[in-house]
Amino acid sequence: MAIARAPHAAGEAPRDAAPAAGLNSVHLTLEALEKRYGNLPPSVSALSLQLRQGELLGLLGPSGCGKTTTLRMISGLVPVTAGRILVAGRDVTALPPYRRDMGVVFQAYALFPHMTVAENVAFGLEMRKVSRTEAKERVMRALGMVRLEALADRKPRELSGGQQQRVALARALVIEPSILLLDEPLSNLDAKLRDEMRNEIRDIQQRLGITAVFVTHDQVEAMAICDRIGVMRAGRLEQIATPLEMYERPTTPFVADFVGRMNHLRGTRLEGGGVRVGEAVLATAGTSPAGEALLLMVRPHRIQMTPAATAQPEAAGRNVQPGTVRRVTFVGDALHYEVAMGAETMLVESSTVSGPQSFAVGDAVFLAWSPDDTLTFPAGTEA
Amino acid sequence: MNTLSLPRIAYGVLVALLLVFLLAPVLLVFPISFSADNFIAWPPSGWSPRWYVALARESELLLAFRNSVVLGLVVTVLSLAIALPAAVMLVRKEFPGRDILFSVFTAPLLLPSIVLGLAILIVFVGRGLVGSWFGMVLAHLTLTLPYALRVLATGLKTLPPAVEDAAGTLGARPFTVFRRVTLPLMAPALIAAGALSFLVSFDEVVISLFIVGPQLKVLPVSLYHYVESRTDPLVASASAVLILVTLLLVIVVERAVGLRKAVGGGG
Amino acid sequence: MSAALLTRPRADWRGGTVLMALLAPILLVNVLTFLAPVINLAMLSFRGSGPGGSIQEGLTTATWTSLLTDSFYWEILLGTVWTSLLITFLTLLCSYPVALWVSRLGARWRNLMMVVCISPLLVSAVVRTYGWMILLGDQGFVPGVIRAMGMTPPRLLFNETGVIIGLTEILMPYMILSLLAGFGKLDRTLEDAAGTLGARPFTVFRRIVLPLSLPGLLLGCLLTFVLAVSSFITPKLLGGGRVVLLATEIYDQAIVTLNWPLASALSILVLVVFGAALAVYGQLSKLVD
Repeated sequence: MAIARAPHAAGEAPRDAAPAAGLNSVHLTLEALEKRYGNLPPSVSALSLQLRQGELLGLLGPSGCGKTTTLRMISGLVPVTAGRILVAGRDVTALPPYRRDMGVVFQAYALFPHMTVAENVAFGLEMRKVSRTEAKERVMRALGMVRLEALADRKPRELSGGQQQRVALARALVIEPSILLLDEPLSNLDAKLRDEMRNEIRDIQQRLGITAVFVTHDQVEAMAICDRIGVMRAGRLEQIATPLEMYERPTTPFVADFVGRMNHLRGTRLEGGGVRVGEAVLATAGTSPAGEALLLMVRPHRIQMTPAATAQPEAAGRNVQPGTVRRVTFVGDALHYEVAMGAETMLVESSTVSGPQSFAVGDAVFLAWSPDDTLTFPAGTEA
Repeated sequence: MNTLSLPRIAYGVLVALLLVFLLAPVLLVFPISFSADNFIAWPPSGWSPRWYVALARESELLLAFRNSVVLGLVVTVLSLAIALPAAVMLVRKEFPGRDILFSVFTAPLLLPSIVLGLAILIVFVGRGLVGSWFGMVLAHLTLTLPYALRVLATGLKTLPPAVEDAAGTLGARPFTVFRRVTLPLMAPALIAAGALSFLVSFDEVVISLFIVGPQLKVLPVSLYHYVESRTDPLVASASAVLILVTLLLVIVVERAVGLRKAVGGGG
Repeated sequence: MSAALLTRPRADWRGGTVLMALLAPILLVNVLTFLAPVINLAMLSFRGSGPGGSIQEGLTTATWTSLLTDSFYWEILLGTVWTSLLITFLTLLCSYPVALWVSRLGARWRNLMMVVCISPLLVSAVVRTYGWMILLGDQGFVPGVIRAMGMTPPRLLFNETGVIIGLTEILMPYMILSLLAGFGKLDRTLEDAAGTLGARPFTVFRRIVLPLSLPGLLLGCLLTFVLAVSSFITPKLLGGGRVVLLATEIYDQAIVTLNWPLASALSILVLVVFGAALAVYGQLSKLVD
C-alpha cells in the first residue's frame, strides 16, 4: 500500500477531488449552499461540491452536522437560504420537491402504511400519469430488482425491516429519478443485515449508473461503498475525497479522527525538521516553521511493535521509541495494546491473524513507524 | 407471595363495592325501566314493558330525540369541516402566535358550562338566536370544536414520520399528498373526533337549557324537565334506550379505530 | 408574487392568505360564542339591573357591592367551596383503591377495566342523576335495603346528602383517570425493590406508592373540585331546589329572576374560585416536586 504524504493543510478550504472525469459529465452541483433557521447559526453554510454522473457520494458526519439538512435541501424538502442546486446544468433551487424528480429513501423508510407494497411502489408512477399497464410492469420489475415480487400484496407492517428497506429503495428507483438520495437508510437495521443491504444498494446503484448521495454517520459504511466521501462538521464540508485519500491524507484533525482511530501527540517543531514530543524527537513528513506547536497523529495499526529484548529495529529514518505495555485488549480480529511511551500513552493495533507475536502487560517494547505515517496539524485545530 | 391473605380479600371486596357504587346508577336504570308501577319504587311490584310503550307514544320526547340526532349530526359534520383545516394549519404551519391561538381555541373546554351558557344566552337574546337551530348549532360548536381540534391535532402529530415528505418527493403535489396520504392516515382521528363531537352535542344539557327557548325541543333538556317534574319510570326506559344507543356507537367506533387510542393519544 | 409562491417549496399552500382562510371559521365561532360573550359577561357585572330584567345604562359597582356585602352570597360561596371540597375528598377516597387495583392488572384486563371505569362518562348527566333518584328516592333501592335490614332510612334525596352522594359517583371517572395517569409512572420494580429491602406492604405503600402517585392525585383533585363547583344538573335535580350552590344560583338569577348583572357577577365569582383552586394546585404541585 502506498504511503501517502500527509499535507500540512488544516483549515484550508476543502478541496474537490472530482474533476478527473471531465466537466461535461458533472451531474449534480451544489453552489455555496446555506441553510439558516431564524437567527441561529447556520445549519449548513458555504457548501459547494460537484458529483459526476453515476457517482455515489457519502455525506459523513456526527449527528447535527447538517448532512441530513443538506440532503433535504437537495430533495427540495427544505428551502435553501442561499446558494444554488443544479442538476445536469439546470437550476432546480426553487423547484418544490414534487417537481425535482429525485428518489429519496428515508431513514425510517416512510412507507405508506395504508397501501400495499405494490401500491407504495406504484405511487410515484401514478403521480407521473404512467398508464396502468406500464406502471404494473415497472412496479414488478422494480420489486424484482430488490427480490420482493412475492410480497407485492402485503402491507408494509407485515414486512421485516430489511424488506421494508428494499420496498423503499424500489419505490425511490421505479420513477427513474435523476438522483437517488439516501438518508441513513441502514441505521434501523441490525449489523448483519446492514452489511448485506449496503452492498445491495451499491450493486443496484452501479447497475443503474445513477448519481446518488448517501447520508450516514458510520464511516465504515461510507468507506465501504462510496466513490467519494464528504465529511461534514457544524454545517461545513471539512473535506471531500475518495475513501482512501480521506483515510491516508485527512486535511483536518477532525476528519482524521472521524474516519478511523488516531494516536494524538503534542510537540514543538525544532530547527532542522524534527518535532520534540516530551523527551523524544520524532521525524515527520511535513515541514513547518520552527517553534510552532503541533498536533501529531499516528494510526494505531501503522505502528510496529517489537520486543525490547531483541535488537533495536533498524532505524533507517523511522521513528523508534521504547515503551512498556500497560494493557492488552482482545477484540476478535485484532489485539489492542496500550503502550506507555514516555509521558504519552500510545494505542497500537495488531492483527491477530498476521501479527508476528503477542505481548503481555509489563513487556518492554520498541514502537516503530514511518515519518510518512505521522500527520502534523497546527496545535489548536482539533477541538 | 400471592397468598389470599385477609387484607388482600378485604381489599378485593372494597374495590368490588366501589365499582358497584360507580356503575349502579347506570345499571339500575334497566330493571326499573321494566317496572309495572306508576312511580319509581324498588323493588317494583311487577314487571312490564308498559313504559317502553308509553315512551313510543311520548311525542315530545320522540321529537326531541329526532332533533337531538339531527343537531348532533349537523354539529359533527361542521365540527370536522371547521376543525380539520384549522388543525392542519396549527400543527403544520409555524407562525407567530400559533400556540396562543391553539390555547384560545381549546379554552371553551375550561369554562364551566353554566358560565358559558349564561354568556352565550346574553349575547344571543338580543339577536333572536335563542330557540333557533342556528343558535343551537353555533353554541354546540363552541363545545365540540375544542374536542375535535385536539383529537385531530393529536392525530396529525402522530402520523408516521416522513410519509408526507416521501409522497412529495415521489411527485405528489401538496393537495394530492393531503388527499392520498394524510387524510387516509387520519381516518382513526377523524372517526374519533366525529364520534366525540356527536356525543358531546347529543348529551349537552346546560348550554342547551339556556338557549333552547320554549319551542325547540332537544332530548337532554326535555329529559331534564321531565325528571324535574315527574318521577315515573318513563325516563328509565328512555335512559335505557339512550345507553344502548351510546354503547352501540362506542362499540362501532372502538371496532373501527380504538376509541381510547384515538382520544387519549396525549397532546 | 404568486409565481414565487408556486415555486417556493412548502410555500404555495401555506401562504398567509390560505392560513387565514382556513383558520377563519374556527376563529369566527370562537369569537362569536366564546370570546365576545365572556368579555360581555364580565362587563355586564358592572351594570345595574332594573325591574323586569332590564339593564341600566352606565357603569356601576352596585352589583358587586351588593353581592359582596350580602351575607347570603357569602354563605352560598363558602357553602359551595365546602361542599365541593367534601365531594373532592370523598371522590378521592372512593377512587384511589379502584385506580390502584386497575393499575395492577395485566395489560389486557387493565384496558378493559379502564373502559369500564370511564364508561359512565358516556352516559348523559341527566340519566346518571336519574339513576341516583332511583337509588336514593324514598321508595328507592337504598332506603329499601336499609328497611330490609330493619332500620329507618334517613332522607337521602332532595337534600345535601343526595347531592354529595350523586356528585361523588358522577365525578369518580375523572379522578380514576387522573390517578391512573399518575400510576403510569409508578414502576412495579420499585415496589419489589422496597420489598427486597425489607419493607412491609403497608410501608411500601406509604413510602413508595403514595408519594409517587401524588402528582396524579393532585391533578385529579383539582379536576374534581372544579367540576363540583360548576356542576348544575345534579345539584338541581338531586337537591330538589333545596340545595343552593353557586351554579344553581346563577341559573335562578339568569332564568327566574332575570337579574343578569348579578348572574354575571356570580359567574365571575365561579371563575375566581377556579383561579384560586388553580393557584393552590400550583403551590401543592411545587411542594410535591
